[in-house]
Amino acid sequence: MNDFCAYSFSFGEVAPTIDEVLDFLQSSDLEEEHPAVTFVRDTLNELNFDTAIRGGYVLKDINFPDPKTGLLQVDNMTLNLGRQVCGYIKEANQAAFFLCTAGEGFTQMANRLNEQGDIMEAYIMDAIGSLTVEKAMDKIQGALKTQVGKNGLKISNRYSPGYCNWPLSDQKTLFDLIGENTTGISLTDSCLMIPRKSVSGVIGIGQELKHHDYGCAICNNATCIYRKIIARTESHDL
Amino acid sequence: MSLELLEKLSECVEFGKINQASPYPPQMKGQSGADEITKEALEAGIAPSDILNNALITAMNKVGQKYTENKIFVPQMLLSAKAMSASMAHLKPFFASGAVQRKGKFIIGTVFGDLHDIGKNLFGMMVEGAGWEVIDLGIDVKIEKFVETVQQNPGAVVGISALLTTTMVNMKPVIDAIKAISPDTKIIVGGAPLSSDFASQIGADGYGKNPQEGIVWLDKISA
Repeated sequence: MNDFCAYSFSFGEVAPTIDEVLDFLQSSDLEEEHPAVTFVRDTLNELNFDTAIRGGYVLKDINFPDPKTGLLQVDNMTLNLGRQVCGYIKEANQAAFFLCTAGEGFTQMANRLNEQGDIMEAYIMDAIGSLTVEKAMDKIQGALKTQVGKNGLKISNRYSPGYCNWPLSDQKTLFDLIGENTTGISLTDSCLMIPRKSVSGVIGIGQELKHHDYGCAICNNATCIYRKIIARTESHDL
Repeated sequence: MSLELLEKLSECVEFGKINQASPYPPQMKGQSGADEITKEALEAGIAPSDILNNALITAMNKVGQKYTENKIFVPQMLLSAKAMSASMAHLKPFFASGAVQRKGKFIIGTVFGDLHDIGKNLFGMMVEGAGWEVIDLGIDVKIEKFVETVQQNPGAVVGISALLTTTMVNMKPVIDAIKAISPDTKIIVGGAPLSSDFASQIGADGYGKNPQEGIVWLDKISA
C-alpha cells in the first residue's frame, strides 16, 4: 500500500463538461431542445456523489521495453504489452502503473434508468461515467507529468490492456504488479474491472521519451474510447 | 384517414416524439406522439398488424439506415426506440392473442463472463422494431440458460453479444451447446472485437457489424 501514490476526487473536481459529453456522444450538432442535450445538462447540474473517485499509481524502474518481443520485465514479472505499446514507450526507464475508478454509482444509475425504460438516459449516464474516470486519470497524469518534470523527465501517453493491441488478459499481471491499493477495484475471471467505470494501464517515464500519438489511424476498433476522446486528450498536451 | 395516421405515427417514431408531453421535436410540440396516435389508430379500426408493418417497422428501418450512414447517432436511435416502445405497448395484447403475427422469436444475451449490455440492448430494440418478439436473457448468460430457452422456444433465432477479447472466446461453447441439441437453430453474433471471420470460425450462422446489418440478416433468413 505504501508504494501506491493515491488520489481522491469529488465528482465536481473531475466532472466532464456538457460539450465534452456531447462530443463523446457524437451529438454536438443536436438542437438545444433535444432530450439528450437536456438530460446531459440537467444531469451534470444535479449529479452530486458523496462517494470519492479514486485512483493512483505505483512507480517502477523498468528494463527498456523490447518492441521486437512486445515484452516488458518488471519486478520479476513479465507484461505482454505488445509491440505497439512497447514501441511507444521504448525510451522509458521508469513507468507508472495506474488504476482509477469512478465507483459503482454511474452503473447503478444507468441500470435504474434502463429498468424504467429510459434507455437513452441510461446510455448517457454510462457515457458520463466513462468520461468522468478518464477526466480523473487526466488529473493524475497531469500531476505525474509535473512531478517527474522537476527532474527533467518526460511522460508518455497512457495505455491500457485491451487497447492498442495490449491483450486484455494481461490485466491479471498488471494488478499483481500494482499490488495492494486504495481504489477497491477488483477483476473478474474474464479480466473485467469491477466497478465497471474503471481504467488501468501504464505510462512510460524517461529523459529521452518521445511523444507518440495513439495509433488510431492504423487500428480498426471503432468503438474504442480513446479514439473518441483523443482530440480532448491531445489538446491537454499530456 | 388511416394512411395519414400511420404516416404520422411513423414520423413520431422516426424523430422520437414519444407522447404529447414530449417537447421534442420542437415543430411537433403540443401534438400527439407515438403513444396517443397508436391509441387513436386502434380506436379508428386500423389493424394492429398494419400499425406494426406500415408504421413502426418502416420507421425503425429508416432509423437503422440513417444510423448506418452516420446521419444519426446512438442517442437519436434510442429516442426513436423509446417512441417505438410507447406505441408497441398498445400492441402487446394483440401479440398475446395472436391477432398480430410477428416474424419470429429472437433470443438475445451477452455471453457468460461479460457484463456489457449497451450493444445488446440496442440491437434487441432494433430487432423488436423490425417485427420480432425479443426474449432478452440479460448479461453474463450461462450456456445452460441459452440452451434451456432454445428448447422452450423451438424455431427461435439466437443472438449472442460480447465486448471483450477475453469473453468473445466464450461464444463458441455456447454455439456448440445450442447446435448439439438443435442443429437447425440459427445463431448470429456481434460485438466490438468480433469480425465475420471470427464468427465463421466459431460456427455462427451470421455476424452483425452494426444493428442494421443484423436486421438485414434476420430478414433474409426469415423470408
